[in-house]
Amino acid sequence: MPWRLWALLPLLLLVGVVALFASTGASLLDLVGHEPPPADQFDVRRVEFKPDEIRIRVTNPQRQELTIASVTVDDAIVPFRLDGPAELGRLRSSTVIVPFQWVEDDPYTVGVTSSSGIETSFDVPAAVEARGASGRGFLGYALIGLLVGVVPVALGLGWLPSLRKAGSRWVAAFMALTAGLLSFLALDALAEALDLQSGLPSGFQGPGLILLGVATSYLGLTFVAQRFSARGGRERSAPLEGIALATLVAIGIGLHNLGEGLAIGSSIALGELALGTFLIVGFMVHNVTEGLGIAAPIADGARVAPARLGALALVAGAPAIVGAWVGGFITSDLLGVFFFALAVGAALQVVVEVGRYVARRAPGGLRSGYVIGGYLAGIAVMYVTGLLVA
Amino acid sequence: MPKRSVTRRQLLAAAAPAVAAVPFAKLAVGETSHAAPPPHVHLAGMDMSSGPTHAAMIGDAVPAPGGPNDLDALLHPPSALPHKPGRVREYELTASDRQIEVANGVFFSAWTYNGTVPGPVIRATEGDLLRVTFGNGGSHPHTIHFHGIHPSNMDGVFEIVEPGSRLVYEFPARPYGMHLYHCHSTPLKKHIAKGLYGAFIIDPPEPRPPAQELVMVLNGFDTDGDGENNFYGVNGPAFYYARYPIRVRRSHTVRIYLANLTEFDPINSFHLHGDFFRYYPTGSSDHFEYTDTVMLCQGQRGIVEIDFANTGHFMFHAHQTEFTELGWMGFFEVVD
Repeated sequence: MPWRLWALLPLLLLVGVVALFASTGASLLDLVGHEPPPADQFDVRRVEFKPDEIRIRVTNPQRQELTIASVTVDDAIVPFRLDGPAELGRLRSSTVIVPFQWVEDDPYTVGVTSSSGIETSFDVPAAVEARGASGRGFLGYALIGLLVGVVPVALGLGWLPSLRKAGSRWVAAFMALTAGLLSFLALDALAEALDLQSGLPSGFQGPGLILLGVATSYLGLTFVAQRFSARGGRERSAPLEGIALATLVAIGIGLHNLGEGLAIGSSIALGELALGTFLIVGFMVHNVTEGLGIAAPIADGARVAPARLGALALVAGAPAIVGAWVGGFITSDLLGVFFFALAVGAALQVVVEVGRYVARRAPGGLRSGYVIGGYLAGIAVMYVTGLLVA
Repeated sequence: MPKRSVTRRQLLAAAAPAVAAVPFAKLAVGETSHAAPPPHVHLAGMDMSSGPTHAAMIGDAVPAPGGPNDLDALLHPPSALPHKPGRVREYELTASDRQIEVANGVFFSAWTYNGTVPGPVIRATEGDLLRVTFGNGGSHPHTIHFHGIHPSNMDGVFEIVEPGSRLVYEFPARPYGMHLYHCHSTPLKKHIAKGLYGAFIIDPPEPRPPAQELVMVLNGFDTDGDGENNFYGVNGPAFYYARYPIRVRRSHTVRIYLANLTEFDPINSFHLHGDFFRYYPTGSSDHFEYTDTVMLCQGQRGIVEIDFANTGHFMFHAHQTEFTELGWMGFFEVVD
């Protein structure tokens, strides 16, 4: 028998043991204790205000079934209808639709009560109308993504001519700066991912999802980097440089901007973010340094065609548009966690790749004052410009 | 007032199936048949979800727990008997743990007297010898503590009735008025919040004038155990009499034996729309106040007498708006 079939043996045995346990399981557990009653709390995923209507998205986070029985708005029972089942199995969702003449900008508390009488309430700090998917909204989110993603990166690439004139020590310093700002972005995305996952029902295993995302993007980019190397006809262990490294940096930044766009989009959709001019400007200043990071690896190489530069700007910036669409129209914390985790892995991988480049190519290697100063400056620049969007 | 008319039509739309299904035999003696809705009710084109009006508040026309007659035994007290000192009035009360439906689709693990919250109405005439046999079929020790005048060993405080045990309470019924009974085991708050209470009417030796008599026990249910009520109502389920309006007759006195047994909230109240009533505190004298709103602390009670001047639907509810919107709201349907 081939080894693949033999490999099924433990699985078959497991099925047998599980079946045996399941048939007697309840009485076995009674020997050691009594199962506590389920919490019967819903997970309120999203509360949206539409004209004369409040929509509440709820999920059942527990193993036992959970039934939507009663709904309140500000401690008053209200009639409702359901888009989805009333009885929710594990991790299943329904949308509660409440006809309601709400007052713009007023705070609201919505409550969803299970058939066992347990009420889950959710506070909305200010009611703001959620716009659905429309041509205008589509365009609006695209413009926001363009402004906070593509435009600043393209502007940052404008540092390329001056970088070319700089000495190799300075180029190394800017490469280190790139690594510094990517380190900052990695930690920033990790914090976002951890923060978002804490709100997920435990069944979704947020931390595991983050690890999956980080590993996927890190290893995925490692694989891509190796392919770039191989294509360049060099030995496989050689560090990436030039346009290949710049592309990798752009991919890393792009994945971060995907998460950032998602966060901005969903915040706007949920009315949590007053996206004023100031904030847009803040994101632009914050992200313009990302363009510098892409420019640094190609500063001492051959000339790069403007179209190529434009493509790099799109790779790094356009995901902000996609993120804003997804965040604005779908808003899934689950997706948000995964996107941010992808950004973490990508940024880390690019930091490693840039580090290898600097270690081998920069005068003085990683211990040069230019490199250390550049790295710290990268973090500091992100921190200071980040104050604008915090 | 266009808004009001919408409200009323929606109410009728919600109530029509119930009205059509139930002849209200006791209340509508000599009335025209109500098998068909009144002419001004249009079932088609009623949109219950058009807005958050009071009628919409009660939801759709889904039948309440147990159907329209479910609460009749709690709403309509047994008849008063003429004064006959020494006559024995016997009641049997059994405590039991039971899941009850306190709002559409919401269930509460209650402790009940005879399976309902509130428990059955106990009624005697002053001078009757009241004999209440109490069996504890529940899982916790309970008692019955009656309000009124009686010996200390009949007070339901010291004689705790353990699960599976029985106790006979026996004492002369006095003084006349509207009273109440409830469990007095500790923790007291838990035993009352769980539902062990009911109305206790003692009629005066001189009978009260004839009237259509109703009992209303104001109560609440803390379904999630956080020390605050999630639902409020009269005689149990939220919005019950909003779904199934109480039919009464114009110019015929409606007498309501009213008691507040709401736990957690210090006060509750009763407010009538479109008319005034005589309110006799505790029902223990002829003294009354002419008003449309009364406030009752927990355990406070009295008798309300209404002579409706107009026909139509008149709302009654707690004048604490929060209680109203959490279920303590109903309608009188006044007919000629």
